[in-house]
Amino acid sequence: MSRFFATGSDSESEESSSADEITPKAPGTTLKQSLLLSDDEEDTKRVVRSAKDKRFEELTNLIKTIRNAMKIRDMAKCLEEFEQLCRAFLKSKNIVDKEGVPSFYIRLLADLEDYLNQLWEDKDGKKKMNKNNAKALSTLRQKIRKYNRDFETEIAAYKEVSRKSFLPPLTCSSSESEGEAGGVSAKSFLKKKPDEASKSSSSGEDDDDDDDDEGWSGESKESDSESSDGEAKRQSMAESFLKYVLFLILTFKTWESRKHIEEEEEDGGEEGGEGWEKVKYGVPLEKPKMFAKGTEINTTVVVKKLNEILQARGKKGTDRAAQIELLHALAAIAAEHNLGQGILVKIKFNIIASLYDYNPNLAAFMKADMWKKCLECIDELLDILFENNNIFIGENIAEDSENLAVSDQPFRVRGCVLTLVERMDEEFTKIMQNTDPHSQEYVDNLKDEGRVCGIVDRLLTYLENKGSTEEICRVYLRRIMHTYYKFDYKAHRRSLGLQGETKSEQDQEESEGEDSALIMDRLCKFIYAKDRTDRIRTCAILCHIYHHALHSRWYQARDLMLMSHLQDNIHHSDPPVQILYNRTMVQLGICAFRQGMIKDAHNALLDIQSSGRAKELLGQGLLMRNMQERNAEQEKIEKRRQVPFHMHINLELLECVYLVSAMLLEIPYMAAHEFDARRRMISKQFHHQLRVGERQPLLGPPESMREHVVAASKAMKMGDWRTCHSFIINEKMNSKVWDLFPETQRVREMLVRKIQEESLRTYLFTYSSVYDSISMEILSEMFQLEMPTVHSIISKMIINEELMASLDQPTQTVVMHRTEPTSLQNMALQLAEKLGSLVENNERVFDLKQGVYGGYFNRDQKGGYQQKQGGYQGGYQGGYQGGYQRGGYRNQNQSNY
Amino acid sequence: MGFIQKQYVVMKIIKHYQEEGQGSEVVQGVLLGLVVDDRLEITNCFPFPQHTEDDADFDEVQYQMEMMRSLRHVNIDHLHVGWYQSTFYGSFVSRALLDSQFSYQHAIEESVVLIYDPIKTAQGSLSLKAYRLTPKLMEICKEKDFTPEGLKKASIGFENMFEEVPIVIKNSHLINVLMWELEDKSTVADKHELLNLSSSNHLEKSLQLLMDRVDDMSQEIVKYNTYSRNLSKQQQQKHQYLQRRQQENAQRQSRGEAPLPEEDISKLFKPPQPPPRMDSLLIAGQINNYCQNVKEFTSQNLGKLFMAEALQGQN
Repeated sequence: MSRFFATGSDSESEESSSADEITPKAPGTTLKQSLLLSDDEEDTKRVVRSAKDKRFEELTNLIKTIRNAMKIRDMAKCLEEFEQLCRAFLKSKNIVDKEGVPSFYIRLLADLEDYLNQLWEDKDGKKKMNKNNAKALSTLRQKIRKYNRDFETEIAAYKEVSRKSFLPPLTCSSSESEGEAGGVSAKSFLKKKPDEASKSSSSGEDDDDDDDDEGWSGESKESDSESSDGEAKRQSMAESFLKYVLFLILTFKTWESRKHIEEEEEDGGEEGGEGWEKVKYGVPLEKPKMFAKGTEINTTVVVKKLNEILQARGKKGTDRAAQIELLHALAAIAAEHNLGQGILVKIKFNIIASLYDYNPNLAAFMKADMWKKCLECIDELLDILFENNNIFIGENIAEDSENLAVSDQPFRVRGCVLTLVERMDEEFTKIMQNTDPHSQEYVDNLKDEGRVCGIVDRLLTYLENKGSTEEICRVYLRRIMHTYYKFDYKAHRRSLGLQGETKSEQDQEESEGEDSALIMDRLCKFIYAKDRTDRIRTCAILCHIYHHALHSRWYQARDLMLMSHLQDNIHHSDPPVQILYNRTMVQLGICAFRQGMIKDAHNALLDIQSSGRAKELLGQGLLMRNMQERNAEQEKIEKRRQVPFHMHINLELLECVYLVSAMLLEIPYMAAHEFDARRRMISKQFHHQLRVGERQPLLGPPESMREHVVAASKAMKMGDWRTCHSFIINEKMNSKVWDLFPETQRVREMLVRKIQEESLRTYLFTYSSVYDSISMEILSEMFQLEMPTVHSIISKMIINEELMASLDQPTQTVVMHRTEPTSLQNMALQLAEKLGSLVENNERVFDLKQGVYGGYFNRDQKGGYQQKQGGYQGGYQGGYQGGYQRGGYRNQNQSNY
Repeated sequence: MGFIQKQYVVMKIIKHYQEEGQGSEVVQGVLLGLVVDDRLEITNCFPFPQHTEDDADFDEVQYQMEMMRSLRHVNIDHLHVGWYQSTFYGSFVSRALLDSQFSYQHAIEESVVLIYDPIKTAQGSLSLKAYRLTPKLMEICKEKDFTPEGLKKASIGFENMFEEVPIVIKNSHLINVLMWELEDKSTVADKHELLNLSSSNHLEKSLQLLMDRVDDMSQEIVKYNTYSRNLSKQQQQKHQYLQRRQQENAQRQSRGEAPLPEEDISKLFKPPQPPPRMDSLLIAGQINNYCQNVKEFTSQNLGKLFMAEALQGQN
């Protein structure tokens, strides 16, 4: 603005700037603000506007957006707005008929067409445009061409005028300045005018300014026609321009005089001024005063005011930011007048609530400043609550039974801190979900986690004294949710017997308080005992298990999982709980792996890994695959379920653990059942990886984690544990996977041992047929295992009838019996099985003809036959498939592997 | 109907296989000869050339005609009396064989198919068998009615699909003399090919093939099973529908209204497509064949084993 007034004198610039401020006000704010402010102001504020005003304002607003869109070359937006504009114009048809086509409208049409043509010519620019925009451009161009045909004469007139630039100043001043222009010096008027005129003439080309310019001319036209209601006939642009200048003068004058009057009025002076300011900016310059000066401020008045403010809440078009400001102000007033803590608490409640309301929809997350404010507010609220023991708050305290006034009775306030804090926690999650996890911003946001935890903690202490059991359960769950996924390094170090290296660290450790394990234990047990809603208990159990698993307390975790019977009914719970369940299972599996329970690890991870959707199941990202399956709505819901990044479980680690445990199980199994037609895969995914590895035309040294595992598997198949070891544990794998464990060294040692043992088994399975006898000493040397271990492994294999051999004690050798069926025998067995199924099928045909179980066999015989078959198949199926299929942990010990 | 063949033909067939057939590959050729009284004499044969991918437009009929014409020029029997085919472990009962034998037999009534088993022959006993389709099967094939009902009506089972024709191999006297001479000259070891004790390989192969067929059979049965289940279900529905309709009509009649028009029930209830049963018949035949083979083989082998045992005892 100041650019083209730079030449003007001081007074002029002042005038003009104030005039500026009047014009671009938003239509809605006036009304809204006036609603919020106390009654005595309303007379001055309420402006009665004609229908025409409203319509035209709507048009000007739309035009403004179009201009903006033009500036940034957003054709899509332009098109959209233009369509709206046409519609709005149609709506205001009546007025247009009466008043004539508003010139600002014509101006836009002309400008837009020029602009589009210009864009159209610019081939390079068009190429650079994205597809959407280019499409919109061509559509819009056609549209506007068609549309402008109706306004040809007007546009032509406008163009004519803009070419002529402006009229000579003197003629214009004489034309219509009868009464109004009197107060302004001709000089200043003239000075201003050329600027304006050149401005308006250049507006077609000069995109920078025509935005405000449009606002100006639009406003001027409108107020101008208001002042001269009788002139219904259309005016040329030149005329309207003149009027606009006049209007400026007029407004300035009224403003001046008003100011004068206000100064005289000492009471309401400030309010009036402030009212003006408000209208100008749409944002209060200074804190609005809520009450007329004379009013005695007491509780009832404040409550009334509060209700007044709150009524606007949730209404369309309410300025939420302003509302928050107002509430803050109210709080300040209440504090200032010592109205007691009750009212303060109530206002705080409402401030926080409106902070939450700030975002219109659920998907959006809080802005950083809002979030900070919210945290502060909650902190303050808790401060008050802690300081004043005599405040009762509760959701079920009715509005009218509230006791807010300072009296002997304790305060009673309606509201629920817990809900607020829960909401805050959710907002926090949302913020974390919506922040790019690899940015500094995320780290910054994450720092707030401590504060959130602090608030939850404080609330927890508060509610422990005051809240009901259910509330305590809820807040405990919040606390648990913030604890369960964090690894307690302090406790870990302590358990290892290491003290903090320095004194300060030790101090810190002491001040840290109890172990997270103890906290978890205490909180969870309380919930187990007291909770009556199933969901909280389920979540608590899962978190507890997770926490146990994270800290390698495998047996506790497993027992809790088994005792809870969650595997059976987890399918009935809601998705977030299921995600938590999946996370817990995964953590449990990883824990089992660390403990060397390979089989358990495999089984726990099987469900998640076999689906190939681990990412989705753990709530750590959406899969692109089923984009077409879900619509936008579903996607939003799914996005909301995502776990924030800092709680993620490393997927590569997960997969590696799974694959390695699958390898340790599958390779010996494959070796043992080489000829068995009924052999089943223990792990489909592992086989898939093997096949992928086999398909490689050229085998280079392994790069990725999967390739490493595949290469290791191949080595293991040959019983070559050294190669296998070097593939599983090396620099690459360490940095990718193994170093992520807290007890890296121990895990690695365990892994080496497992590899040795399983390689030994594989070796025996594969090559036992070529030995008559083999010395255990040699085996022990080959696999770097101690004699007793070798002895025990071989004994186990013999007992399980996996290895047909016997131990010869004096010579420490294994003597092979060579009783494995030959391939012909195997084949014959297979054939027998197939024939069995054939007979069964045949029998069914017969059944159909004869009714139930006529046929060759009666019931018993059939059963007997099947039993025999079952006995023959026996063995591994029971072990590998029992129980775990449904994610269960039930028949653990049945497996005789 | 007897059947006589010249050694020459046998040798030619064997040679053909040795030269062109490997492993499971099958060689085929045309038999020439003439009918004398109630015997079919096969006096000559020629092979079909091996197909390669390159000459897809090769005209087989043309080739046969050419071949026969040339043979006539040198005054050899040129009457088409059937065809021969090699086999792999006795697996020859197939749809293709059925179809081509049917067309042969349809055109030339006396045609036979000679099945030559090179593997068995290699083990020391010439295996050459002649088959013809039974008249029953011919009829079914003519009508192309392979539905379960059709087969049932014709009362055809896998046992009576093919009839084996006895073979007598005749040599000219000169050749007989040569044979005698050769027999004297051959060493003992040559003759003892028969006594080879290693049997598992052959058995394994047979079992494998047998298993495959059994799997196929199972599938066929399952197919048939679903079919018959569907059929009975539909029949039930049909029955219900008819009953309902009857009731309704009775009601209407009592009210004095006109009965509902008869609708085409077969349109409402389309019977499910019956699965063709020919395949399962063929499979059954093939299984039977395998079983015979295995049985034969094992009984021979058992004899050999006992013999070997006895010999060992003596030593």
